[in-house]
Amino acid sequence: MSSSSQFKQLEKLGNGTYATVYKGLNKTTGVYVALKEVKLDSEEGTPSTAIREISLMKELKHDNIVRLYDVIHTENKLTLVFEYMDNDLKKYMDSRIVGNTPRGLELHLVKYFQWQLLEGLAFCHENKILHRDLKPQNLLINKKGQLKLGDFGLARAFGIPVNTFSSEVVTLWYRAPDVLMGSRTYSTSIDIWSCGCILAEMITGKPLFLGSNDEEQLKLIFDTMGTPNEATWPGVTSLPKYNANFQQRLPKDLKMILQPYCESPLDDTVIDLLHGLLQLNPDMRLSAKQALHHPWFAEYYQ
Amino acid sequence: MAEGGVAKQANRNEETTGCEIQTVSLPSNFSLCSRYDLIALISRMLVFLIQINDDAAQKKTGLADSGKGEATDAADTDGSSETKLTRFHSSVPPPISVYNYLIRLTKYSALEPSVLLTSIYYIDLLSSVYPAFTINSLTVHRFLLTATTVASKGLCDSFCTNAHYAKVGGVQGSELNILESEFLKKINYRVLPRDDNITWCKYEHRAHEFTIYNKAALTNVSKPTHTQRNSGYNVLQMYYHKIIQLVGKFSSSLDKSKKANYVFENVPGMSSALSTEKKPALKRHLDHNDQKNQPDFILAVKKSSTSPYTFKKHVTEELKFQKD
Repeated sequence: MSSSSQFKQLEKLGNGTYATVYKGLNKTTGVYVALKEVKLDSEEGTPSTAIREISLMKELKHDNIVRLYDVIHTENKLTLVFEYMDNDLKKYMDSRIVGNTPRGLELHLVKYFQWQLLEGLAFCHENKILHRDLKPQNLLINKKGQLKLGDFGLARAFGIPVNTFSSEVVTLWYRAPDVLMGSRTYSTSIDIWSCGCILAEMITGKPLFLGSNDEEQLKLIFDTMGTPNEATWPGVTSLPKYNANFQQRLPKDLKMILQPYCESPLDDTVIDLLHGLLQLNPDMRLSAKQALHHPWFAEYYQ
Repeated sequence: MAEGGVAKQANRNEETTGCEIQTVSLPSNFSLCSRYDLIALISRMLVFLIQINDDAAQKKTGLADSGKGEATDAADTDGSSETKLTRFHSSVPPPISVYNYLIRLTKYSALEPSVLLTSIYYIDLLSSVYPAFTINSLTVHRFLLTATTVASKGLCDSFCTNAHYAKVGGVQGSELNILESEFLKKINYRVLPRDDNITWCKYEHRAHEFTIYNKAALTNVSKPTHTQRNSGYNVLQMYYHKIIQLVGKFSSSLDKSKKANYVFENVPGMSSALSTEKKPALKRHLDHNDQKNQPDFILAVKKSSTSPYTFKKHVTEELKFQKD
């Protein structure tokens, strides 16, 4: 077990949802780490986000999931010692903006990142863990082009029956339509929708559905993907926040929407994968395992 | 007190003593079990364990009064000859029964069946890595409060603050924070009741490692073979079934808080889905029904809620807590 004296605290990397993250140096091994400091509050005790993050991440050993090495206890704080990563996908994409024009990533890099994202996610799902907050900020990358899932503060195990599944999960732009309509019975498909949004965002350099509230988010989704009905999505009308007055829209051609923002021509297989990930009906969405076997990734699995 | 309201669906049996013992049919799936029945069962299980551990402790220390504490089972818990005090110890047994304490925690902190059963699982988990800890009449209250707090925060999406849990449980907020932190450290944050969690946890303790992924630590020790992790549902299911087998019968239970014999509603070996379809009339109903049937519990809890019950002065401050 580590002690705090083992690490030299370097510059601040950012403020997480419930913690401050610093770069650190392991003085014994010379290896850089990320030190996430969690304040222990007298009302809350150990924050549940920290309990979740530690208990779930310590079980997840995978090349595409940020490794949690240790937890250091001091008087009034916990320090989580993570594998150090150079950057996150959000900052990386922002760094490519020229003037005001976002630029998507090169398609070969998009494919490599998406593959790693799905590999990491498939491992979470195999281990009965939902991430519930997939977005570019939470995907960490390094100079080797590796991508790893981080920030498991909203994650939870599934399969243990509890009455309360929160619908206040996932950052708005990456939140699935079933969750936006108040579904509390979601499962792995909640993360798949986010993966679809992230894929489109890597291609174009800008978020696919940029809503500012739940209603607008749903409207934007339906404007592009079409408005669901009982025929296309059995059960949709019984969701708590389903509104019979949703504007009726027909699905648009995703290729037409994305191509203007992408320098190289988009082929039909990636559009087909996007459709598989962005199915409105959660039961119709691909699983992470299925997505990894999609023809777009043929070069990786052949 | 707490005679227990007679559930409408229950069959009745006349015991030789003349008092009525209801027979309650329980669903095979624990998450469908009424929380009040689950509490009665868990309380019986705990009282059973406490009896064994208290007797064992008394046997060790009490040389003079040999006639008094007749040990039921020669439970050799840990090798040590003296009782080690832990943060979970009270100086004297708190004067609220395990049963009433569980009712109180469940009602005011909205504990779910998964949380209640996970707490029982935590006894095995904590004992396996912390030999000084046993569940006994001095430790049971603080243990239950800590275990239900950690399970709620670790497993559920809706939970309360520690300040709330502490108030319901009758300890200072600062004390619960320490207990929680101590508990999490001891179990090495393995809060999910997965299949081989206890094995992994023991392994990490032996290797003095936070995670088992340290390669150096992997030599010489055989790793648990189970790698495909399950959700934990079957572990809780197993505890549920074991508890019913062990203490379902009223006559064989030391805890007489609820006069009921607990049996499964289905024939063993039959799937629960089948049996609920076939016998809808016997199906036990969920909590809101039960609450109507058991006004005496709610009354008892309400009375005490006006002045939160506080444990007698405890001894934790005086303890030198041993660090590993």
